[in-house]
Amino acid sequence: MASDDQSSVPANESALDVSLLKDVAKSALVDALNSVNGAKTLVLDASLSGPLGLVTEVSLLKHHGVDKMFWLEPGPLTSTTSNVVYLCRPTIKNVKIIADQIKRHARESLKHAYTVFFVPRVSTLVTRILEEEGVLGDVVVSTYNLQFIPLADDVVSLERDNTFKELWVDGDETVIFDSFQALVSFQKYYGSFPRIVGKGDSAARLATLLHRQGSTDSSSSEARLANEQTIDSLIIIDRRVDMITPLLTQLTYEGLVDELIGIKNSHVELPASLVNPPAASTQVAPPSAPTSTAPVAGLRKEAKKKYHLTTTTDPLLAEIRDLNFSSVGKKLNQVAHRLDEDYKARLQAKTVAQLRDFVGKLGGLQTEHQSLRLHTGLSELVVPLTKTEEFNKSLEIQQNLLASYNVSVQLTAIEDMIAQGAEMQTVLRLLCLASITAGGIKAKTLENVKREVLQAYGYNYLPMLLSLAAPSLSMLLPNPLPSTVTGPKYPFVLLRKSLRLLIDDNPEALDEVENDISFVYSGYAPISVRLVQCIAQKGGVLSNPAERDKQDQDGKGKTTKVQAHPIVGWKGFEDVISTIPGETVDIVQKPANAVISPMASLLPREQATTTVVFFLGGCTYTEIAALRWVARQNRGRKFLIATTSIVSGASIIEGIAGVGKAGGPKDAGI
Amino acid sequence: MTAHPTASWSAMQDGNVFYRRQQLYSTSGKLPNLNEYIVAGCKYGGPLAMMRDTTKVISIGGTNPALNKAQIQIYSPAGDGMLLFSWDNGKIVRFGWTDDERLVILNEEGVYRLYDLQGDYQQYSLGSEAGELGIVDACIYESGLVAITGSLTLLEVKGWEGARPLSLANPGLTSPPHAWAVIPPDLNISRHVEVLLSVEATIYSVDNLEVVDQRLSRGPFTHLSPSPNGKSLALLTFSGLLLVVSTDFQRSMAEFDTSTAQHADGSVRQIVWCGNDAILVTWDAFALLVGPFGDTLEYFYSGPIFAVTEPDGVRLMSPEVCDLVQKVPASTVSVFRPGSTSPSAMLYDAWESFSQRSPKADESIRSIRPELASAVNECIDAAGHEWEPYWQRRLMNAAKFGRGFLDLFNPSDFVTMGQTLKVLNSVRFYEISVPLTYTQYLHASPSHLVARLTARNLHLLAHRISTYLSLKPDAVLKHWASAKVLHSRPSGSGTATVTDASADDEVCQLIVDKFRKLGGPEVSFADIAKRAWEAGRTGLATKLLDHESRASDQVPLLLTMKEDRLALIKAVDSGDTDLVYHVLLHLYNRLPLGTFFRLIEDGGERLTLASRLLQVYAREQNREMLRDFYYSDDRRVESAVLSLEESTQILDPASKINAVKAAQKFFSEDKDRAFEAKMMDESVRLLNLQMQLEQETDGKITFSGLSVNDTIHTCLVNGMAKRADKVKSDFKVPDKRFWYLKLYALTSTRDFEGLEAFTKSKRSPIGYEPFVNHLVEKGFSKEAATYVSRCDSPRRPDLYVKCGEWRKAGEECKTRGDKAKLMELRKKAPNSLIERELDQIATSMR
Repeated sequence: MASDDQSSVPANESALDVSLLKDVAKSALVDALNSVNGAKTLVLDASLSGPLGLVTEVSLLKHHGVDKMFWLEPGPLTSTTSNVVYLCRPTIKNVKIIADQIKRHARESLKHAYTVFFVPRVSTLVTRILEEEGVLGDVVVSTYNLQFIPLADDVVSLERDNTFKELWVDGDETVIFDSFQALVSFQKYYGSFPRIVGKGDSAARLATLLHRQGSTDSSSSEARLANEQTIDSLIIIDRRVDMITPLLTQLTYEGLVDELIGIKNSHVELPASLVNPPAASTQVAPPSAPTSTAPVAGLRKEAKKKYHLTTTTDPLLAEIRDLNFSSVGKKLNQVAHRLDEDYKARLQAKTVAQLRDFVGKLGGLQTEHQSLRLHTGLSELVVPLTKTEEFNKSLEIQQNLLASYNVSVQLTAIEDMIAQGAEMQTVLRLLCLASITAGGIKAKTLENVKREVLQAYGYNYLPMLLSLAAPSLSMLLPNPLPSTVTGPKYPFVLLRKSLRLLIDDNPEALDEVENDISFVYSGYAPISVRLVQCIAQKGGVLSNPAERDKQDQDGKGKTTKVQAHPIVGWKGFEDVISTIPGETVDIVQKPANAVISPMASLLPREQATTTVVFFLGGCTYTEIAALRWVARQNRGRKFLIATTSIVSGASIIEGIAGVGKAGGPKDAGI
Repeated sequence: MTAHPTASWSAMQDGNVFYRRQQLYSTSGKLPNLNEYIVAGCKYGGPLAMMRDTTKVISIGGTNPALNKAQIQIYSPAGDGMLLFSWDNGKIVRFGWTDDERLVILNEEGVYRLYDLQGDYQQYSLGSEAGELGIVDACIYESGLVAITGSLTLLEVKGWEGARPLSLANPGLTSPPHAWAVIPPDLNISRHVEVLLSVEATIYSVDNLEVVDQRLSRGPFTHLSPSPNGKSLALLTFSGLLLVVSTDFQRSMAEFDTSTAQHADGSVRQIVWCGNDAILVTWDAFALLVGPFGDTLEYFYSGPIFAVTEPDGVRLMSPEVCDLVQKVPASTVSVFRPGSTSPSAMLYDAWESFSQRSPKADESIRSIRPELASAVNECIDAAGHEWEPYWQRRLMNAAKFGRGFLDLFNPSDFVTMGQTLKVLNSVRFYEISVPLTYTQYLHASPSHLVARLTARNLHLLAHRISTYLSLKPDAVLKHWASAKVLHSRPSGSGTATVTDASADDEVCQLIVDKFRKLGGPEVSFADIAKRAWEAGRTGLATKLLDHESRASDQVPLLLTMKEDRLALIKAVDSGDTDLVYHVLLHLYNRLPLGTFFRLIEDGGERLTLASRLLQVYAREQNREMLRDFYYSDDRRVESAVLSLEESTQILDPASKINAVKAAQKFFSEDKDRAFEAKMMDESVRLLNLQMQLEQETDGKITFSGLSVNDTIHTCLVNGMAKRADKVKSDFKVPDKRFWYLKLYALTSTRDFEGLEAFTKSKRSPIGYEPFVNHLVEKGFSKEAATYVSRCDSPRRPDLYVKCGEWRKAGEECKTRGDKAKLMELRKKAPNSLIERELDQIATSMR
């Protein structure tokens, strides 16, 4: 059973305890709130509510003097307390709203004491704007350093929206620097990275920053020495290196829910009837709706409720989140049967002791029951959406494009989808996929499709098309390239062969054994995870460790997982890696004072080590699922996935287009 | 031989508790008459600052030469003058010490200065409002100050970085309080400063939120003094009654009538706490220690005294001596109390016997065998609390002796104590005169001590101590280098530039060598360079800056030195976007726009980040500048996009069209952007058309801002089919797309006849399946079924099923003679009725 795979982690292989990060974030917030004395009105940046909801709950805020909460949005602010506390990202937009509200108060001669906490740090830019607006003197500017937030026990995220656009459309590298700072504090808690391996220009920039810091700063080296050995390396994957993966439709359970329903900061919006258990028994602490200046959207067809996807309150999720959606139904069925049998155990209980045993388990069973009910309901919501023509057509086009099968026919099919009024993001994802896999689209065809797109969805998408074609992204290019644009093309066809991206899968096998990381896209292996395998599981790139396992099993009757090999950088794959555009990084950081014999790092160690994989620019749920799979194939190595945010093709395209899904933050959980 | 430690002890509470008075230094003849001065003492064995009290009458021609000038004098605890400077900045209201031994002087205009022990100062102000009202009084504690303004309101300043003063709640006083005190934030439960004001018979406690009347009736009070841990408060009434209450005013802890003290002469001068349970009341030349149960100890002096609270006692400055009065620490009592039979006393006794070669040693050790380890620890601790090296040594020896009898003993405490004592003894030396006790040393941390020594310019000692304790040497080095830079100033300003440059080289080399030799790689040169630059030595500053490895430290200085380009490059290299913004905004303000743009454009590749960030900033805050920037750099596409972005925000159709037209023009100027120009052209046409449409419908229907698709859809939904056709032909909308649009629109208005007519107008380019599918999806199965017959025949049965027309599906099978399909249908049949029907058809097929 898959659950066994995940729960049977031996004690000595326990991963880093990421909940520490949550505690740190929580106490920092409490400190920040307590620095302002007395009751206060909290004005919250809506984009922060999601991340904050993951580290704290409303009651904690109330407990620390928060009287009322408002969203930070344009318009007047009415505050009954003399203290007004703003908590927001240091963006120009936010600061202007703050300045406007303060000036409004001044005009109405209302006296308030203002404190602004910028997350994660103050920037010169915003203080400057406060100064330009003439309110800098009235506010106390401070920071709330919110960095990595644990989303699961092996995933931490900065939860920064829109990093992709900032980095590669605007060229604003703030997120690199913020990631750098977050990784530096990460090293303080968990030990330094002895080796930094990475791919991509931005990844290289981040690695250089980290390396520079590592060589100049040895202040806390003593503290770090204690757990020097727990982390074996940091792998930085720049989203630009693998644009294909997010463009595809994710086919794991969690991925598909994200694609079709949308997961925001680990919360998914579901009909209230599904989230609330019928009886008021075990309850997943409902995030009570905050008092807000915005009218609560009461006109919704059905009351929606946020549900937090976390394995702590939802044990079933751990079992199904990474499964290919095709096997989820079967799994749920199994669980239902098991649950049924567990309930039936009651009938067999004859003695009082047995009965007591059963009653003891009852709580767990009920939680599981509720969780099963929810996921069955959720699957029911998802299934019809996977039956639509648009969904299946786009899957078909994706698979054909990945196999480079008859590209021009696929383009016609995309045009048909435009004609049928398919969603903008779906169409553009397919177009970009076609351009990247085929090394550009014929100029004439491209122009035609672009015209179709503009006519169908509006001329205001022209800047987005330009951004996609810009050299920094190169996602939608004509073929041949115009003379003005230079730079290497993405060698997809080559990679498909050398990294074994496309796997012939037979559907029967997929149900039983997860063949390869390609299960996440039903037969296509994400390049990003293949690259990680190039570093941390070299055998896995060339053949399936799972299959080998199976043979072993036949032979010996007992599976022994292969001991993970030490990290030796890109060794063995230098040629392949060099064909991918972007810098290649491999830095060995010498520990400042510990002299370790050069061989020691190469010897296989019995103690488990953790490899931190950082996705700069975001990662998808499928990539997380794939990395978890990789981790399960070996003994002695865990992965900790760090990312700037969780992305999907839709969020990337919509980010570039500048149209977020409306109404998202309005009724955020906190 | 030095007097036995117990010689300075006095018993209290029936001999259970001991207090000791230790002479730290002899100050005879060094200090002026404290009576004539206002004095402020610094904690942790720090110096005294004093200023002549102008309200006191003094005799002329005495020992003090300059009396008419406002002067501040600073004396070390050993009574040596450390600094003397004159004050010329208004009337001083109050002065006091910060925790890093800087002297804060606040004048009546609300201006305060922070003087270090070298006489350099920083000046801050409490703001213009405070300046107008004037400052009446202030209370300065280690980490901030609270001031009373002329209008009797309270202002608080946190920290010493020139933070903005915050108003506390207004106590609504009509006259200044009789006495007042401040409980610092770190001693409060709320972690915010609390002010206690003695008003009439009661006390108000004030924080930044509220004023609470504590409803006392025994006031007014002349003295208020919170205890070192902030939990209790000592109050003295006009009648001389000393009250001790808890700071929440819930409990009264003790009462004592000071007027009953026999030797009291005149009024009480100070009420200070000695530890957390005893209070020292001082008169002119007499001090009375009042214990928690009203028992007293008396101390006599030859002249006026001044008491400074320490965390573990009270330091008393008198004309003759500098004394420390404290409760004797537990470990010391345990070892030295007469008749003590504690293990540590036995151990000490054993060691003494041993050194006298007496066999009693063995007996004593045997008797305490089980408690030997704790006895050793107690001896080590007692050694720390002894002032005289002689006794320190003896106690350490006793500990060492006891250690020999233990199988396992962790020597680190012993070693650390040895090191600590060495350090403490060296700084207690009267020429250094930092009379720090062991407890204070632990309180304030070793690095704090090192910082204090460097502030006295005692670099060598500071450096030796920091290396001895394996602290980082950079703080000392940095201070040394700054001092070096300041002191190595070329003697005459008129000297030739050649010697100047060589002197720079020399100093720079000296500093760099020293840093390389002593410090690690992490010493920062930027601060020193800054000092050099402030001292007017630009050459030296640049040279020093070259050695700085951290860009973030270089940039601000480079900016002040007007090395714009270099600063920008360094900022970009650092990867810190905030730093880049810092430079950009600074330069944007300082340079003419043209020069500013050129600087960024000429940077090319290296400054891409700067250019990108400027665009991000300008797009939000300063579009005009961005337009200029693009224009000056001939960036047509970006200009166009900017114009286009603006167009989306414009509501007025005419100006919107103009904005799009502008974008179109920019695109057309770039020959590679013909497609975009054409699209913009279409966009303009569409906008015009939409305006026209809106006019035709009298503005009842909004078209503006819709896409071509939506425009057609809106036309169709509103029965403007002709118009829709025109849009189609105008914008060359492909048939396929148009057909889908029409299908969707007509379905949504339930115009099934229209749809029927439309499909018959010509052959559908999209086939008829989409019609069936869409209609079924929208719930019009019946209408959908009519289109099935036009679809490809092999698909028909399935499509009929979709429409729920099982019978027709079966008949279709029959006409095609497809029995297998029919059977398949039968299997799927939802109910028996349909099953039977299908069976019928099946039989009829034979």
